[in-house]
Amino acid sequence: MTGTKADGAPATPSAKSDTPQVPIHLRPARETDVAAIVPLLLRLKRLNEEFDPLLKVRDDAEAQARQVLKVQLADPKAVLLVAEGVGADKDKVVGYVRALVRERPFYLPEQEGVILDIYLLPLYRRHGVGEFVLRATSDALKAKGAGVVTAEFPAQNEIAAKFYAKRGFRAITLIHARSL
Amino acid sequence: MLIAAGRLETPFMAEGTLASEAPARTPRRRAAAGRDAKDRAASEKRTSQTEELGQRSVELAEFYGGKVETVPKVPVRSLHDFSLWYTPGIAAVSRAIHADPDRAFDLTGRWNTIAIVTDGTRVLGLGDIGPRAALPVMEGKALLFKFLGGVDAIPLPIQVDSPDEFLRVLDAIAPAFGGINLEDIASPKCFGILEEASKRLPIPVWHDDQLGTAAATVAGLINALELTGRSFRDTRTVLLGAGAANLVTARLLIALGHDPHRISLVDQKGILHAERNDVDELMLRNPWKYRVALKTNGGGRTGDLAAAVEGADVLLAASTPVPGTVQPEHVRAMARDPIVFALANPVPEIWPDVARAAGAAIVATGRSDFPNQVNNSLVFPGVFRGVLDARSRGMPDEVVLAAARELARGAGRLGLTAQHLLPTMEETEVFPHVAAAAADACVRAGIARKRRTHDEFLERARTLMGRPARLVAALHRSHLTAPMPRGPTRGRKAT
Repeated sequence: MTGTKADGAPATPSAKSDTPQVPIHLRPARETDVAAIVPLLLRLKRLNEEFDPLLKVRDDAEAQARQVLKVQLADPKAVLLVAEGVGADKDKVVGYVRALVRERPFYLPEQEGVILDIYLLPLYRRHGVGEFVLRATSDALKAKGAGVVTAEFPAQNEIAAKFYAKRGFRAITLIHARSL
Repeated sequence: MLIAAGRLETPFMAEGTLASEAPARTPRRRAAAGRDAKDRAASEKRTSQTEELGQRSVELAEFYGGKVETVPKVPVRSLHDFSLWYTPGIAAVSRAIHADPDRAFDLTGRWNTIAIVTDGTRVLGLGDIGPRAALPVMEGKALLFKFLGGVDAIPLPIQVDSPDEFLRVLDAIAPAFGGINLEDIASPKCFGILEEASKRLPIPVWHDDQLGTAAATVAGLINALELTGRSFRDTRTVLLGAGAANLVTARLLIALGHDPHRISLVDQKGILHAERNDVDELMLRNPWKYRVALKTNGGGRTGDLAAAVEGADVLLAASTPVPGTVQPEHVRAMARDPIVFALANPVPEIWPDVARAAGAAIVATGRSDFPNQVNNSLVFPGVFRGVLDARSRGMPDEVVLAAARELARGAGRLGLTAQHLLPTMEETEVFPHVAAAAADACVRAGIARKRRTHDEFLERARTLMGRPARLVAALHRSHLTAPMPRGPTRGRKAT
């Protein structure tokens, strides 16, 4: 399957240069972007729901999303980026990134940059977009002090696993779950 | 046998068990619109006869004990001949093939033998009834292959639990066959199996629900566009239903130069587009549909069928049969001289007379009792005759398209009209041409093990496709095939 990685980034980006020709423009999110990000966030969570019943999306997820995004906008340790289209799609929010820098009290490096969400609408995937977004996110996390970057995604999401593995990521912590 | 006893001299076949009940007249000769209402009433009655036909089918299946058998094709003058057809003579034949594997196409029946393989997961409209229950359908298909295409087809329902296992079986049996016909496999796994099998196997692989229906549809559309003065470049087409057939139809239309942005697919959830809510789910569960979603519907139309057909030139409906899915106002909302294919069986999405009253210039259905039947059986016998005669290594889209184009040309040669968009099943002179076109395409694509000229392919196809009807008639005349019982069989057996 030549799909796209579930969290929205392409499976086969080829761009090698520092300024790849990608059909998006990435910038920090603002308060006014929240309304446009919420539906994309819900798409990502509903996709995650496909992988595991323990990732069932709550009925109030939309209100939660608004709240979480507002909190993160005010958090100096958080990274929230929006992807906009180019050309005719110039002012359209076509994707977003949500990440944050976490303390690691027992391990080195002390600061971990965690990628929580990457989502791009299907037409804005591939063409090196994923590579581009991942690099920009890593840079933003590094600027906030992170010495390592990690990504969280459903264990069954093989497309995401492949995407990150291809870019030098490996599993360092596994989260196993059981219903109670 | 499905073939009615009195009809053998004028071979006629429609899909499946309706063959012997089909009307003998040529539908295209009748005046169109006026009589359609009458046709419709008659066909509604016929739909209600399905149960009766089913009962008869069971009786005959029991009487004949299935529909096909293997018959030696060499003389056996005495038991001494066995030393030629079997050991010890046959060892030399095996040695020759061992030294040159492609010699199997000369020295065995591989050149003309295909397997009809199913896992029984989507048999007719019956659903997942399993390989055992699928066997009668595969036997019927084998009969059609032989009768219409002169192809020796082995019914082969298999018990498998995954697409990988299915593919391993295909790998395992491929050495015995010149081609594989996949049949009645659930969507979307049928896409992956066909795609992967086509890559792996050194012989053509076909899936009628994808390629046969799509090729017949495309052939009809080529002629419909010509009749209404359109070209693929400037046509806007709506496909209702996003199952196996329509996804492939969309792909073939694009290959023919149809602008993908001017194609919209509509399913139960409305217009398929790149930002529909279920698009990520499709990416995981049905990447074939996902890819079409990304490519088509330029301009990002959203909404239901009514929104999709606004100003469209063509509506190709191949949906799950829900009568009345297409309404007259849908047709009225289309462009001038719209083209409507309502292919659901047995009840089309809209009846032809209703579509025409709403302004449709050209209407086609999947049924043999209306003009313009879009029918797989117009395609697969010719395609297989062609690829087998070319001893092809594959079945790329260019072969499928060559067959579709030739089918369209065939209708043209016989007189192209809005009531005669495609050849009928009786116009058998067209099918060897389809075979030759498919074979030529294999040669052009460099996948033919056997290169012949167009005329050689055509002549060969005429001979091989004409022989089975004579064979069946001869068996019948000599009473080697038991006559068709007229009344109830009361448990009697032919043999």
